[in-house]
Order: sequence, then C-alpha cells, then structure tokens
Amino acid sequence: MNFLRQSFIIAGKDLRAELRGKETVNASLSFSVVILLLFSFAFDPSAEETRAICGGLLWLVFAFAGALILNRSFARDLPNDCLDALIMSPIAPAALLLGKAMANMLLLLTVELICLPVFGLFYDVPWTRQIGMLLLVLVLTTWALTVVGTMFGALTVNLRLRELMLPTLLYPIMIPALLAAIQLTTLLAVGEPLTSEYDSWLKVLVGFDVIYTLLGLALIDTVLVG
Amino acid sequence: MDQRNFTYMFYGFAAAWAVLVIYVITLVSREKKIHQEINRLRKLIEEGTKT
Amino acid sequence: MREKITYLIAIAVGALLITNLYTILLGLPDEANQGAIYRIFFFHFPSAITAGIAAFISLIASILYLYRRDLRWDSLAVAATEVTLAFGAIVLATGMIWARIIWGIWWAWDARLTSTLVSWLAYASYLILRKAVDDPTTRARLSAVISIFTFSGVYISWKSIEWWRTQHPGPVISIRGGGGMAPGMEAAAYWNLLPLAVLGIILITIRLRQENLQRLIDGLRRQAHEI
Repeated sequence: MNFLRQSFIIAGKDLRAELRGKETVNASLSFSVVILLLFSFAFDPSAEETRAICGGLLWLVFAFAGALILNRSFARDLPNDCLDALIMSPIAPAALLLGKAMANMLLLLTVELICLPVFGLFYDVPWTRQIGMLLLVLVLTTWALTVVGTMFGALTVNLRLRELMLPTLLYPIMIPALLAAIQLTTLLAVGEPLTSEYDSWLKVLVGFDVIYTLLGLALIDTVLVG
Repeated sequence: MDQRNFTYMFYGFAAAWAVLVIYVITLVSREKKIHQEINRLRKLIEEGTKT
Repeated sequence: MREKITYLIAIAVGALLITNLYTILLGLPDEANQGAIYRIFFFHFPSAITAGIAAFISLIASILYLYRRDLRWDSLAVAATEVTLAFGAIVLATGMIWARIIWGIWWAWDARLTSTLVSWLAYASYLILRKAVDDPTTRARLSAVISIFTFSGVYISWKSIEWWRTQHPGPVISIRGGGGMAPGMEAAAYWNLLPLAVLGIILITIRLRQENLQRLIDGLRRQAHEI
C-alpha cells in the first residue's frame, strides 16, 4: 500500500472518530467563540486601533483552539493500546504523522472558518473582500500549526503534564509562522489587498511549512518507535 | 573615554557578567550537591555490604 | 589531572577577560555617534558566536546520540544546551540595553531579535521537557529530537540579517562582507571572542562531567536499593 494511501486512511480514521463524538471540535469551537467575545469586551471593537490588532487577535484564538485539537490527536489513541497497535502496524510512522496532521488541519480549518464570520460580526470588518488570499494564509498557517503540533503531540503523548508540555514546546517554534500570519491577516481581514512588501511574509510561511514538514517526517520515526 | 551613555554601558557590562557569575554559581552548587550525594550513597552501600 | 588542566585554563581565560576589559574600556578610541555604549559590542557579539557554537555542539551531540544510542552523547547535548541558554541570555540582555540607547526602544519584533528570542525559549523548553521524563533512554531520545528541531531557529537567526531588512544592524565584520568596523575594534572583538568561547567550552566540560556523575549516582542509587 503506498504512502499517501496510508496517510489518507489514517486521516479518515481520525476524522470519522471525531465526527462520531464531536467532542474536540465542539470544545474548540465554543472556546474560540468565547475568547472572541471576551476580546470584544476587552478591546473596543469599533475603534481604529482594534482594526490594527485584529490579525493578532484572530491568530491567538486559533493557536489556543488548535492546542485543544492537537492535544487530543494522539491522546485519543492511548486507551486500549491503540497507539501501540498503530505503531506496530505496517503503516509507516511518517504516514501516521501525515494522516493525523491532515485530519487535525481539517478540524482546525473548520473551527477557523466558523470563527471568521463570527469575528466579522463582532468587529465589523469586511473580511470577505480579500477572501481568496485570506483563505490561502489560513491554510498555510493552519498546516504549519498542525504539522508541528502533531509532531509534538506524538512527542508528549506519554508524558505526565502532557497538556502543559505541548503548548510550551509548540508556541516558541510557531512564533515565526504566527508572526507572518498576523502581519498578513491584519491587512487581509480588513479588506486591504497585499502590497509587494508583504511578499516576504508569504515566503516565510511557505518556507516554514516546507522545512518543518520535512523535519517532522524525518524525525517521527525516532519519536514514535525509538 | 567618551562619557556619553556611560551608565547604560555599565549596566550592559554588569548584565553580561551577572549572567556568567550566576551560571558559574549554579554549577558550583550542583557540584557540591552531587559530591554529597555520591558520598552518602557510597557510605550506605558500604554499611549495607558489611552487615 | 584533567580537572587541574580545566581549572588552569579557566584561570587563564579569566585573566584574559580582565585584561581585555582594560583594552575595551580605555584602549579603544571612541565611536562617533554612540558614546560609550558601543563598547558593549565586545560582549554582545562574542556571546552570540559562543551561544551559536554551543547550540551547534548540542545539535551534533543529539544526532550522534540518535545514531549511537550512547547516553554520554545525551549528557553532552544537555551541557551544551545549558551553555547556549547562558550565553543567549547575555546576548539578549546586552542587546536590549544597547537597543534602549540607540533605537530608543527595549525591543523590536524584527527577524533577528524574534528568531533569537524564539530559539532561546525553545532551548528553555528543551530543559523543561527533560524534567518531565523520568526514563533516561526516553528522555535522551525525545530531547535529541527537540534539539534538532530547535537548531533550525538558531540557523534562521544567524542568517536573518542577510535574508531580511532588520532593525538589527546588517553584517559589519569583514569576513561576512561588511566593511563597517575599524580594524582595531574588530581585532578587539576577536580577542574577546577567544576567552568567551573557551569559557563556554570549559563550562560545557564541567557540566558534562556533572551529568556523567549524575548517571553514576543513579547507578549507585539502584545498587543501594538492592542491598
């Protein structure tokens, strides 16, 4: 069975498990909406200054919601030795990582796409004007979050204090990608088109995705199998 | 030496030396603790094998 | 015997650092615009190089551990990471104080400062991870993976002033293509790099010895338990 097919099987398994329970997505979604609500109390949504930080607000919300999803990713397979069974199966650990990362990305993207209209409502921003570029930035950054997060999820799955270790390890490494995403989103969410000086931020996102996907695929063997 | 910004330069040097000194102090205290633990364990093993 | 040599070198290094202080503070001419604060460069720059060397040692040790599975490589990785954190702290602290004078702000979110801070935080979380794992083999394996991940931040930080326009100054020392330093100053920078780098290596050696002693303690503890 080839590598991609294995990944899709794992992704499908995770998504099906999630769709049956919907616990993670519900938790993540309600958490995001509540935080957006709290932010709109904390920072006056109509002011011009809030338009300037909206990228930061959005990505903070998405990063925290993502941590909820990523924590569950490998933890879901701990009971009944499912994780051991997966590792012992003929599926390559890299396919396991890719599959879980894809599933997590779809889940996080769902949460983000539901949060965007909510955000547009609370903050009264014309987010649909640059929807194409905005979606591209969303997909690139979500992939960065999920591929590194799934990797560190595998690393921390057997540790005590797992829920604490994953964000502690993840967020410092994510800062370059989140910074790029925040710069781009602040412009795009209020409907402004990207000027050429923002090209380097896009390059940062793409470079980040490529480097850390390759690193993750190379090292997942060591983390899972030993 | 030009005296402009002298205070901050002093703070800068102080910060650099402070970090080094703090790290060396932690190393020295860890060394002491390690040697104490080794002696304690060696004594324990000796008493254990004697009886 | 080896300890005696280490301490002798440490004393020599300390002496060199002290005599360098004379050169840095009194011997060198003044810089046109910055006043006295530019002299902090002679700690800021060498500490950055030393932190980078230590991070590289940590990377090699981690890769070698994954290859050989000998726990002594893991001890070297921890020792090197701690020294990276120490010298990284010096870079960040001296940098912030310098920035407060020259740029008027304590911090800026440009590529170099961000990637340096990020790498520092990532290496700190390396140490936190080690506290969370009890089994030495698992701890060594997971730490090695983290170390390989976090070195990418160090490399990005190093190259950041070439790849992006940053608030942080671009390459000024002559081997990196800049031309912005008086030769006397550049020589002094390297003269301070020598003792700081050697000091870094000595600290790694001491810490490495402590890690190996710690493993000896674990073995003795197991022995004591059996008796």
